[in-house]
Amino acid sequence: MEPDVSIETSCMIRIAVLPIGDVPSTLLRDYHSMLLRHCTIPLSTISSFYTEHQKSPFAHQPWETGSLRFKFVLGGAPPSPWEDFQPHRKILGVIGICHCPSSPDLDLVIDQFNAAWRGCSSVLVQRCFAFSPGDSQLEDTKKRENLVLFPPSDRPAQELHLQTMMQDISASLLMEFEKWVLQAESAGTILKTPLDSQATLSSEEVIKAKKRRLARAQKTIGDYCLLAGSPVDANAHYSTALELARLTADYFWYAGALEGSVCALLVIVASEPNSSAICNIWWVGMGFRCVCMLMASLQVDRMGQKDIAIEDEVRYRYNSVIVHYRKSFIQENAQRVSPLTFELEATLKLARFLCRRELAKEVAELLTSAADGAKSLIDASDKLILFVEIARLFGTLGYQRKAAFFSRQVAQLYLQQENRFAAISAMQVLAMTTKAYRVQSRTSISKQSLSDETETGHVDSGKMHHQSVVSLFESQWSTLQMVVLREILLSAVRAGDPLAAWSAAARLLRSYYPLITPAGQNGLARALTNSAERLPSGTRCADPALPFIRLYSFPLHPSQMDIVKRNPAREDWWAGSAPSGPFIYTPFSKGESNDNSKQELIWIVGEPVQVFVELANPCGFDLSVDSIYLSVQSGNFDAFPLSVDLPPNSSQVITLSGIPTSIGPVVIRGCTVHCFGVITEHRFKDVDNLLLGAAQGLVLSDPFRCCGSPRLRSVSVPSISVIPPLPLLVSHVVGGDGAIILYEGEIRDVWINLANAGTVPIEQVHISLSGKNQDSVISIAYENLKSALPLKPGAEVTIPVTLKGWRLFLGESDTAAGKNAFGSMGRTLKDGSSPSLLIHYAGPQGDAQDIETNKSSVPPGRRLIVPLQICVLQGLSFVKARLLSMEIPAHVGESPSSLANMDSKPFGEAVGYSKIDRLVKIDPFRGSWGLRFLELELSNPTDVVFDISVSVQLEKSGNEDNLSVDCAAEYGYPKTRIDRDHFARVLIPLEHFKLPFLDGSIFSKDLQSDGSTAGRNSNFSERNTKAELNASIKNLISRIKVQWQSGRNSSGELNCKDAIQAALQSSVMDVLLPDPLTFGFRLARNGSENAAKLDLPKESDTSIHHIASKNSVIAHEMTPFEVLVRNNTKETIKMNLSVTCRDVAGANSIEGAKATVIWAGVLSGITMEVPPLKETKHGFSLYFLVPGEYTLVAAAVIDDANDVLRARAKSESSDEPIFCRGPPFHVHVNGTA
Amino acid sequence: MTTAACFIIASRSDIPIYEAEVGSAAKREDAAQLPQFILQAALDIVQDLAWTTSAMILKTIDKFNDLVVSVYVTDDHILNIDDGIKSFFQEVHELYIKSLLNPLYLPGSRITSSHFDTKVGALARNFFCSRTQYRA
Repeated sequence: MEPDVSIETSCMIRIAVLPIGDVPSTLLRDYHSMLLRHCTIPLSTISSFYTEHQKSPFAHQPWETGSLRFKFVLGGAPPSPWEDFQPHRKILGVIGICHCPSSPDLDLVIDQFNAAWRGCSSVLVQRCFAFSPGDSQLEDTKKRENLVLFPPSDRPAQELHLQTMMQDISASLLMEFEKWVLQAESAGTILKTPLDSQATLSSEEVIKAKKRRLARAQKTIGDYCLLAGSPVDANAHYSTALELARLTADYFWYAGALEGSVCALLVIVASEPNSSAICNIWWVGMGFRCVCMLMASLQVDRMGQKDIAIEDEVRYRYNSVIVHYRKSFIQENAQRVSPLTFELEATLKLARFLCRRELAKEVAELLTSAADGAKSLIDASDKLILFVEIARLFGTLGYQRKAAFFSRQVAQLYLQQENRFAAISAMQVLAMTTKAYRVQSRTSISKQSLSDETETGHVDSGKMHHQSVVSLFESQWSTLQMVVLREILLSAVRAGDPLAAWSAAARLLRSYYPLITPAGQNGLARALTNSAERLPSGTRCADPALPFIRLYSFPLHPSQMDIVKRNPAREDWWAGSAPSGPFIYTPFSKGESNDNSKQELIWIVGEPVQVFVELANPCGFDLSVDSIYLSVQSGNFDAFPLSVDLPPNSSQVITLSGIPTSIGPVVIRGCTVHCFGVITEHRFKDVDNLLLGAAQGLVLSDPFRCCGSPRLRSVSVPSISVIPPLPLLVSHVVGGDGAIILYEGEIRDVWINLANAGTVPIEQVHISLSGKNQDSVISIAYENLKSALPLKPGAEVTIPVTLKGWRLFLGESDTAAGKNAFGSMGRTLKDGSSPSLLIHYAGPQGDAQDIETNKSSVPPGRRLIVPLQICVLQGLSFVKARLLSMEIPAHVGESPSSLANMDSKPFGEAVGYSKIDRLVKIDPFRGSWGLRFLELELSNPTDVVFDISVSVQLEKSGNEDNLSVDCAAEYGYPKTRIDRDHFARVLIPLEHFKLPFLDGSIFSKDLQSDGSTAGRNSNFSERNTKAELNASIKNLISRIKVQWQSGRNSSGELNCKDAIQAALQSSVMDVLLPDPLTFGFRLARNGSENAAKLDLPKESDTSIHHIASKNSVIAHEMTPFEVLVRNNTKETIKMNLSVTCRDVAGANSIEGAKATVIWAGVLSGITMEVPPLKETKHGFSLYFLVPGEYTLVAAAVIDDANDVLRARAKSESSDEPIFCRGPPFHVHVNGTA
Repeated sequence: MTTAACFIIASRSDIPIYEAEVGSAAKREDAAQLPQFILQAALDIVQDLAWTTSAMILKTIDKFNDLVVSVYVTDDHILNIDDGIKSFFQEVHELYIKSLLNPLYLPGSRITSSHFDTKVGALARNFFCSRTQYRA
């Protein structure tokens, strides 16, 4: 059997192409392909080479339209025993091809050429083409027969030369055919086939043979006419032959003539030369047979216009041909020779002729029956050729699976031959079946489909329709696929192609590991290693083996390196670009950047990045990955390799890192893996598809799941772009990055060191706060940072930040109290209650023009988040606050104790007052009637000692001159020390608040408009609204500061404002407002001019006793007293004043039976009118009969009290009398002794 | 002819959703998968033929060596391929419809029910046994 037969084969002149001398195979192919272009030589072009020696037997030679056809057989072919039957099987011409540079001796070449073709008796024309001869060879003018030198020239010239030579050959052949036909017509040749009995003929058979001879001669002449390009002549001869053969029952020749007539018919129909002459795909002689273009579809451009009638005719005649070949089967020599091959060839020819989609059923039936015939074929190579042809025809028909099936049969036949070349052929044939069985190697998938994949892959991933998912996994014929892959592996090993073997084993292992036993998996692993040993190191293979790699996650920038888009138009350029708020989706953000699947990532040139991938080894052997790194298509990324060992059935998440090297998008397709000695690329998308299939139950198993890895949502590769270098700020807290431990309320400075670790200077910077407890950051020395700008690469700056420990919540402090410091530290850290510094910074903005033209060209800024790891420990805790009142009676003395509120005095007169010791000083002559204290109870649950100092800040008064003195006076009190686990009480006197407080900031406007500080009291009274009250309480509280200190560097403020407010709420009126009337007593004995001196604090402070003795009252002596009444209101008050004196027992000592005091002057019912803010004196004298302690009390009933007074007295009805009573004044009466 | 048979139900997209080997012929190792290969290849012919005929049973549509392929095309174009016979096909079709009614079964995916498996095995045994008896 011959390969590549078609009906037209009958009209092709077979020419052997033989390499002469040493011809490099690539050149040989090149020359051969040049020849192939001249498969058809039109008769019109050869007329110049043709000389008619005698009358041509081809009477109807179509010189205008006809042509000669050639079939070039590279390497020649052994002579066929059927040559007589079909002359197109004969080698009619020989073309030697010689490459001159490698064969310098032309004589030798000729000798070799002659030797080569002499073996072939049928050769009519022979030429030896010598390409690229050297100068010496060209100069060698010795005439050599049949040698044609092709002078070195360009390709078109050479082709033209070759064409001319081919025309010459055609003319020679045509003349030879004429000669042969003339000879055959006259002489009558004996034509035999192997089918004819080889034994000595019986007489009957001799007669029969004689009869048949004429028919056979006519048939052969017809064949030569066909070869000579004269189908009409051929047809005439065939008709005669058919007639004669039928008469002689020579079925075999009958069929042959019929075949020839069909060919003639077709040639006539296709009156013009058919360009799609079929080229021989076999080249035998280079040492092995190579199958190429097996599946290449036959060009059938004539199909479209073919006449149906002709088609029917051909079908009819060929069916007849097949029947007659079958008829010619002779049982007795069936062992030796059989016409079966001709029958099959005829079937194939018909199938090839009919081969098109519409006739698929018919062709398939023909091919099936041809395949059936294979059983009876004796020669293995016939079977091979048959299957090859069937496979090709099925392939042409579009029956890929059928084609693959027969290809696999071909491969099995090759494998049976057990030699290396056959194995190579088997491997190549099997490689062609991989598409149909869907076990393709990546290498064979065309580049175009790859690029399509990468383009569309991004868009479509994730929303694949079920049907298309199914079509992705037509891998369900897994048993078949495994068989095919195993056969490829076997043939590749036999063929000595380690790469193909590696690839097959890799595909087998990767796709079908669940179906392979652990022993089998080990075997495959060994096959991989063995193949790799025979490959040069660094070999790449398109098919990945193990492990399975999927994307685990793309870590976003750590918060220290956040990138923020810069809006050059705004001062706060970072605004609006940072994630604003806790919501992932806000309906107002127009959904621009909220598409999660299409997240964008920015990488920076020169800054290392990390990607997490998960590896899985679902097989039963230890997998050692020599190196794995990210495979980046865009080439602007330096990936760092890593080596991993994966135990059997395990998965592992690893971090792959690398550095972007240049600006532009980065496309990460997968990982490059060096495993089993070969470098492969593992794409994420493949595994994603696999996992998708596994999820649908379409793939055998999920490699990650069977390794125990949890199911993961599919991670899509974000679109990554690389931008030019940005500055990079790194921070650390001076003194260690550990938590800053603060007690509640503690105030401390922390130093934060900021350094520019990038390569670009920082030009803009802004600090803001975020997170909880932002108020714990009291101040940031922003200026330090500002002044350090621009911060050059490598430069650093330290900024102090003042922190204050916030209050722990009640529950928190309860639990924290029970724990030690570390326990509570962990707790507060975990809570994330610490604030963070947000530092937005950016490099230079770039060219100003640039910005104008293109806004997007502004390099982005960055954000550094410095979490202030503050750990607040419970410090001094506040237990409760209480308001206490204390009443100390005053002593009546000579000093002119001022009845005006004493707090107003220090400002007014005592500029020189030192603020060192503002203890609670009680003027003994005024007493402290109604003095109130705020008692704070504090506890110290910690293990350190706290010192408490209370300070009361007095605000400046509205007076201008006071401003120059000091803006605020402060009353400091001695420190109170609280030991660990102790309680302590701190008293804060509230006396100082009365008036100065009132002229505080709240009423300053009113005061100014009044132009007088005097009106403040009533002013306030009039505006006694609740809001103002609350405001004033707050104001009051804010001036009380309880500060503590612990150790050397912990200090802070106790936050007890709420408690104080609660304590003060009820009695704030009493604290803040003075009484409308103030009463005082004094001895009127001495002149009161220098009394002011006595008021000097030091004296009065040092010894009350001394003062008392000085101002003592002696019994039995008339002592003059003065009662002073001061009006604290703005309006004149009329009153009825009375004075009483009581002894120690509290009995009235003036009136009654046992009166011990005699008096002079008026003591009761004194009618008095006190002008606003003035004092009025009333003098009287007392004579004490008995020494001892007496108490003087003044009281008054106010007449016609106004609303203010009523409000102050909290009287309910308007006609109720308002009664004022002064504080008691003590008088110590000494005895005369 | 051996009584060995390979039975495959292929889904609409020509993916086998059920495979079974019935009969008990001693198989040669290298040709073990040959029936499957033949059946897979025969799908090419079936897919053309199924649209040209209304018959559900396509008998002997393909053959290779001694193996004959018969096909039963169900009305939703799911193909049962076998070198078997009508009644067997009809029985299996009934079984297949039953499994198709299972709401948890995704059409087009593999049939993994062991019940289905045993039923088909029983049917096949029944069918092939009766045939061998008949032939004997």
